[in-house]
Amino acid sequence: MKFSYNFLQSFFDKKLPKPDKIGEVLTLHSFEVETITKFRDDFIFDIDITPNRAADCLSHYGIAKEISILFNLKLKDINPKIKEECNEVIDIKIKDIKECPRYTARVIKNVKVKQSEKYIKDRLIACGLEPINNIVDVANYVMLETGQPMHAFDYDKVDKIIVRRAKKESFTGLDDNKYELDPSMLVIADSKKPIAIAGIKGGKETGIDKKTKNILLEAANFNPLLIRKASQKLNLRTDASFRFEHGYDPNLTEIAINRLTELINGKPCKLIDKYSKKRIPLKIKFDINRVEKLLGYKIKNSINILKSLGMKINGNIVTVPTNRPDITTEVDLIEEIGRIHGYSNLKSEMPVIFLDPKLREDNVIYIRKVKDILKSAGFTETYNYSFVSKKENGIEMENPFSEDMYGLRISLLTNLVKVIEENSKHRKDLYLFEIGKVYGKEKLMLAGAALGKEKFYFLKGIIDLVLNGLGITDTMYLGDDVAEIKVGNAIIGRIEEVKTNIYAFEIDFEKLIKLAKNENEYLPVSKYPAAIRDISVLVNTNTKVAEVMNEIYKHSKLIIDVDLFDIFEKANQKSLAFHIKYQSNTKTLESSEIDSIQKNIINGLESQGFKVRK
Amino acid sequence: MNLNDIKKRAENEINSAQDFNQLREIEKKYLGKKGELTQILRSLKDLSDIEKKKVGKESNILKNHLMDLINKKSFTKKGKQFFDVTIPSEKIQIGHLHPLTLVRRQVEDIFERLGFKIIDGPEVETEYYNFDALNIPKDHPARDMWDTFWLKGKKQLLRTHTSPAQIHYMEKNNPPLSIIVPGRVFRYEATDASHEINFYQVEGLMVGEDINAVNFKAVMEKFFEMFFNKPVKIRLRPSYFPFTEPSFEVDLQCFICKGRGCSTCSKRGWLEMCGAGMVHPNVFKYVKLDSKKWQGFAFGLGLDRLAMMKYKINDMRLLYANDIRLLEQF
Repeated sequence: MKFSYNFLQSFFDKKLPKPDKIGEVLTLHSFEVETITKFRDDFIFDIDITPNRAADCLSHYGIAKEISILFNLKLKDINPKIKEECNEVIDIKIKDIKECPRYTARVIKNVKVKQSEKYIKDRLIACGLEPINNIVDVANYVMLETGQPMHAFDYDKVDKIIVRRAKKESFTGLDDNKYELDPSMLVIADSKKPIAIAGIKGGKETGIDKKTKNILLEAANFNPLLIRKASQKLNLRTDASFRFEHGYDPNLTEIAINRLTELINGKPCKLIDKYSKKRIPLKIKFDINRVEKLLGYKIKNSINILKSLGMKINGNIVTVPTNRPDITTEVDLIEEIGRIHGYSNLKSEMPVIFLDPKLREDNVIYIRKVKDILKSAGFTETYNYSFVSKKENGIEMENPFSEDMYGLRISLLTNLVKVIEENSKHRKDLYLFEIGKVYGKEKLMLAGAALGKEKFYFLKGIIDLVLNGLGITDTMYLGDDVAEIKVGNAIIGRIEEVKTNIYAFEIDFEKLIKLAKNENEYLPVSKYPAAIRDISVLVNTNTKVAEVMNEIYKHSKLIIDVDLFDIFEKANQKSLAFHIKYQSNTKTLESSEIDSIQKNIINGLESQGFKVRK
Repeated sequence: MNLNDIKKRAENEINSAQDFNQLREIEKKYLGKKGELTQILRSLKDLSDIEKKKVGKESNILKNHLMDLINKKSFTKKGKQFFDVTIPSEKIQIGHLHPLTLVRRQVEDIFERLGFKIIDGPEVETEYYNFDALNIPKDHPARDMWDTFWLKGKKQLLRTHTSPAQIHYMEKNNPPLSIIVPGRVFRYEATDASHEINFYQVEGLMVGEDINAVNFKAVMEKFFEMFFNKPVKIRLRPSYFPFTEPSFEVDLQCFICKGRGCSTCSKRGWLEMCGAGMVHPNVFKYVKLDSKKWQGFAFGLGLDRLAMMKYKINDMRLLYANDIRLLEQF
């Protein structure tokens, strides 16, 4: 909210400190002063009033009160005595006092509608409001001063006041807009129709115009929730509705209406006040030792601080003024003491705790490990949005952000592949990855993508590298076009060519964590030499290499590695050439021993229908 | 022995050396352990003081002279005489970790050393965890502080902060406890250089019997000092969050201007780093902990902000644009 320095000055006899000084002190003790701007002969503070203090500080008087405490300056009182000159009253009916705890009104006769005085206009403009006429302006002025939203009706156009729920009815506001009302909303009505949406907007028909002679002032208090819901439903937020929805002090209406009366030239009539259930100050049990316990340091003048804020102290009971509905518990009092005393000079002292170190969670360990492996294998990490476009598959949102950020991703590849395509203008080879959540059933996933020709087996190698790094060795790749990655009995992910020359994989990271082992045991290196024999096999094109390799391994435990070193296709056949590596842990292998295993392998391969080239 | 003789022979041999090995042989012959010049230097002890001084000096001059010649005439082992070390390096292919990962690791490591445990929490939440249990009642204007993404049906939402993880953790674990929860959060708001619809926070929570505001300040000070690797000055000022009371804003004194005000800190002298406060008794009530016995602090740090400060990235959106030309710089 915007605050005028001159306006604030009007509550003090003494000269206020310079605007910068006030800004600094308020920021450190009350609210953040975002900007201070010079405006004509005034300064405007833009202060970020927190929602808990709306009831007392969305007003110049509220901020003046803070200044008076922080700078120890005497604040003027603003509750004028009004000399009532007539007895004119209007009939006021409140259907439900829970919806309208208080309705205070006053008729003022013989007013003259004209321009406002200069200082009123200046201060309204400084605070971002547009001057209209002397009546409307002072109503706004008193709202800026006290926080209480006010309204003025043309008294001659209103026969009575009824505070009731709306029916299905139309209403034209002072802003000339037509609003469709319904029973969820509260209205101020006369005997025929609504003349205001309670706490939100006054009506066109009963508004002040140049011909207005007698006026009816309203200072009321409404149920915050009703105002909030109506304002949301009508999509109509006003200075009044914003204040009311935070919950205002009903005890404020009388001061505000008297202040307003004081500022209007005319014949004020008797105060009309419907206030059957008075709000009484809250009493809080307060243990002064808790201040030091929670803040960690002694504040000597705690009691004086509370008193300066208008609280009454009786033993261990603190009575809180009704304009501070934010203070309901002991900690709220501690905060008041702490902030007025000031946190900026707080010492710092490390907590004294017992050493109780905790192990890292698996996900922290393995996410780091996998990222490091992929990085060293040439993959660059990306952070993509959790959202995909309307055209892509995603989890539907109640309030989608835009066509591009529409639903929630169900695969990391949707955005990762887009990133590959966008970056392809800068690089010919690209290797990118991401570890992040997908939605639907929320899950952590790992995805990688490569740009380039024939990257399938490269990605397979990358996955082997990652899995080996996590201690997983029993990996298989199944399927034809898209390869499923299988570890033990679990399918954990897939590799595929998603677009021409873009290959990608996606793995369920949570499954991966479950399979991962963080331990590694040393296997003694054999002291005996290894022997290598080659074998060349001719098979049908659609025979899988794994079938041939499995057949070879089957024949001896002494085979420690089978390495495919050549593959070429001819007609509908392909030739596979392998190095077979033999080694024993207990002896040097005899040539004859290896020969006999080779023979078994050849027989085995041939019995499977493979041709062995001799 | 004659130093001049040695000088002449050695110079000749060095001049006519053809490769690395020959040169090494010559070096050995004159300057090695049993080299001719070394022998002379060793025999100095037998000479008279005057002689010692004279021969010693000359020998050393000659030694340095020969070493110079040898060094000037350097051969590669392969024998090529010209070797250009200025030819550009071979490009070694390696990947890069995202700046947010780098900063996240650093933050995690620091807090781990301070005794905090790293915890994960769900990104899709219920209203209960994101708001109610954090003392933000339904239909309360305070909820407007968080613009929320709702999943279809409005039964679930995307967490607007990492604070719901406090509730999850305290439901299952008893104090004393100290955790951090780094993770992705979401806000339904217009994006600009300092706002994104998804970004990263690090929640912190420390609860014990005597954990107080002064302790909080010390922990934050230590964190920033370790993160920026230099002494820092921080200050607390009042703020409002429904789930902490008192609530603080943590400001870090601007490094550039030392608090005087400059363009980096938009003339404030201080940079707003994180929201925090003492855990609200109502939050303890929700997780069934006795607020008379337990107290502590909670905070929420913006990870993107830290990355932007550390790497001088001036637009938050760059962190999610995934331009390879940016990523490769890390």
